[in-house]
Amino acid sequence: MWLHTINPSVKLLTVLASVFVLALFLDPVLYLIFWVGLILMTFTLSQTSWKVWSLLTAPFVFMAVGYVWTAMLFPNESLMAQETLIFEWGWLRLTEESLLRSAGLGMRVITFSALSLLFVLTTKPTYFMLSLMQQLKLPTRLAYGIMAGYQFLPLIKEEFQIMQRAQQIRGVGRPRTIKERVIQWKSFIIPLLASAIRKAERTAIAMESKGFTGEPRTHWYRKISVGQRDFVFIGIIGALFLLSYIGSSFFN
Amino acid sequence: MTAKWKLSEIIVLSVLAVVFAVVYLAFFQVGNVMAGIMGPIGYEWIFGIWFIVSIIAAYILRRPGAAFLSETIAGTVEVLIGNAVGPMLIVSAMIQGAGAEAVFAATRYKRWGLWVLMLAGMGSSVTSFIWGYFISGYGALDPGYVAMMFAIRLASGALLAGLLGKWISDGLYQTGVLNSYAIARDKKREFHAKAS
Repeated sequence: MWLHTINPSVKLLTVLASVFVLALFLDPVLYLIFWVGLILMTFTLSQTSWKVWSLLTAPFVFMAVGYVWTAMLFPNESLMAQETLIFEWGWLRLTEESLLRSAGLGMRVITFSALSLLFVLTTKPTYFMLSLMQQLKLPTRLAYGIMAGYQFLPLIKEEFQIMQRAQQIRGVGRPRTIKERVIQWKSFIIPLLASAIRKAERTAIAMESKGFTGEPRTHWYRKISVGQRDFVFIGIIGALFLLSYIGSSFFN
Repeated sequence: MTAKWKLSEIIVLSVLAVVFAVVYLAFFQVGNVMAGIMGPIGYEWIFGIWFIVSIIAAYILRRPGAAFLSETIAGTVEVLIGNAVGPMLIVSAMIQGAGAEAVFAATRYKRWGLWVLMLAGMGSSVTSFIWGYFISGYGALDPGYVAMMFAIRLASGALLAGLLGKWISDGLYQTGVLNSYAIARDKKREFHAKAS
């Protein structure tokens, strides 16, 4: 459960910084080592279920495959002039380096998804918003506004189901063609938005009538702090990056 | 940025962002299937849909920052819902919102015609593409192919964000829920100017 206790803002910034740094490389080996490290972290330092994790990773594997074959079929020819050709068939040319670049693009997608899951699966939405206010100084009006909007999610979903059933009762069939689908979508989106806006106004009035003005705060009912373990977390990610960097240099 | 805003405007902004965060996630599944089949270009056709909340929020509220904030909040809500693209979505959302915001700022928040909205959608296309070039490593791909991706994204931004966004907002205006916002003020002024 250790990862759950890391400060959400620290976790967010660390993940973002890692993505920036990793995007400067295009090295499948570096990504692979980093990815394995992330997996070890995810499963030893938190109680993430591997089923959920694999289910969420699957679409990215799919996406990565798309990247790999696109990069193989449409490579940047200007990079390939000096490289070692290993395969040529008609207009399709593969060099050792271009294959590595393709693999790098695919591996990058998968590594980024593991980084995101490290954040998403171990961070509670409410704590995340509270931490944004307390550590990153997000204005309270905005933060509580977002939290209020976020609370509407189940209501909006319920309303959508009511509208769907109302349409079914009145004999509106399931859409078959794309045109029918668009027409049906159109019949949902405007009423849904209209009722969401009405709800928003009522909420704003309620918040103001209870004395919410949105001035900066110094005291919090639930205090989110930054501690030693947050620096340990940054240290682990940094060490993992160094390890992948050194590890990948043995292969090149 | 939001100091002058009414609280109801802030909450309307975040509620719009919440609704479209769900729409965005639904389209993400569509995009994923298309990208699996066609490669990264599969995303480009529908990329414009991911800018739509900037257009709608700015068009309704007509305040500096509405385009940027609504998109950023939509990205944050996608993370709160627990999407696996995760924290990077917030950064890409900020970059997309900034593109639309720049176009609205260039008109000094005074012009809200269809062309401006379509240009704003294309503004998001430009900034998001530059970001995508870096983060997804398009440099490894054939420049001609990348140019084609960019052209499709521009068209998608203009149509799916600009045109569709205006169409949805005008539909919403007709229901009467927007009567206390800037869009109604301007539309009524236009109407009276024509009548007199």
